[in-house]
Amino acid sequence: MISMPPSERDLHAYVDHQLSDDDRRLVETFLASNPEISAQVRAWQQDAQQLRAALGGALQRPANPELDPALIRQRLKRQSRRHLASAAMLLIAVSIGGLSGWQAREMTLVSTQAPMTDAIQAYRLIAQQGMLPADYKVSDDGDMQGWLDRYFTKANRLPDLSGAGFKPVSGRLLSTEQGPAAMVVYEDPTGHKISFYVRPPGPRNYLLPRGSRSDGDLQAEYWSGAGYNYAMVSPSDTPTGQMLKQTAQF
Amino acid sequence: MPGVFLVHSVVTSQNFMNDIDEQLREIIPRLRRFAVSLTRNPSSADDLVQASLERALSSWSDKRPDGDLRAWLFSILYRQFLDAHRRSRRYARMLEFFTGRDDSQPSAERTVIAQSTLQAFDQLSTEQRALLLWVSVEGLTYKEVAEILGVPTGTVMSRLSRARQALRELSDGEITRPSLRRLK
Repeated sequence: MISMPPSERDLHAYVDHQLSDDDRRLVETFLASNPEISAQVRAWQQDAQQLRAALGGALQRPANPELDPALIRQRLKRQSRRHLASAAMLLIAVSIGGLSGWQAREMTLVSTQAPMTDAIQAYRLIAQQGMLPADYKVSDDGDMQGWLDRYFTKANRLPDLSGAGFKPVSGRLLSTEQGPAAMVVYEDPTGHKISFYVRPPGPRNYLLPRGSRSDGDLQAEYWSGAGYNYAMVSPSDTPTGQMLKQTAQF
Repeated sequence: MPGVFLVHSVVTSQNFMNDIDEQLREIIPRLRRFAVSLTRNPSSADDLVQASLERALSSWSDKRPDGDLRAWLFSILYRQFLDAHRRSRRYARMLEFFTGRDDSQPSAERTVIAQSTLQAFDQLSTEQRALLLWVSVEGLTYKEVAEILGVPTGTVMSRLSRARQALRELSDGEITRPSLRRLK
């Protein structure tokens, strides 16, 4: 049994239907003769009602088949090894304006085997799967080089691929084990994508001889210069990939 | 005949899982709504729900408490969100250090007068949004909320009271105070 006059907690419990029937009646009697407190309680009730109404629509969204328990169960069975990927998924879940790139740190936990694996993973996440929003987009008068220079002073210039029809369209900052990285996506009019990736060589100052390698359906050209490591990633076995391979200088 | 028993137990466990999946399907729209209220972004929200369902299904047998299934799933999702949020805040701080600018300053947009309950709600802190959704919208008991947050029931009540007061002030059209500013 609550005591009279009701405490603020009792009033909240009243609003939330968490009082026993007897206590509820007590509070109602009290409110009937205390208009000021009664108005306060009514305001809380109205806020709660409005919140329920406002959030009601969120229950009506069309089902997302990806979230079906049976499917998730199957996936779990198949991919007990996919811990890293689901960690990345989860990290992407937190979108804080333009600053949501911490997952790249996780991506690079597996990146020590082959050079610039993080560049390839970033390409998959950003250019292929579109999972991360861009931090910077080139508008009509946009200056991608200027954007990049804010973060990587004196780094190699962005390569000019306009001869092949590719223009820089968006940039994204990432956090990696080796330090902050940036990826610039180039696109041609038909939607083919090439990425330019730059980051510090890491604590061990691991500089790269110029090289090239394939990873699945992607290929990376990589090199070092001006204190950073670079990679350009594109789908292999495409005219774009061939073009990159033949471009001697970036 | 061991074979018969084997068949029987496979069928039972299949039914059991179908039953669980049915219960989950009913709750998923609520999880998605909760995730949207935390992330403020529908597609991020679904990623969060998916990660939470994976977590729930893989720890079902040893972790699932007897109580309300919804409350248990809310608590998994909330913790996953907080973990990811902490990581991204670290990232934001790193970036701030790196770029020498502070993107977490309140923008004009964030200090506008809240014109609707939903806008007011969106300006509350993560925990306040979660509390109001659990109690006012989902109707969880104070005890269930206390278990999710790992705090005494009395603490839930005083935090709820503050959340309500904050929502009230914001809905009344008061300018957002810095302490109520959207947390990044």
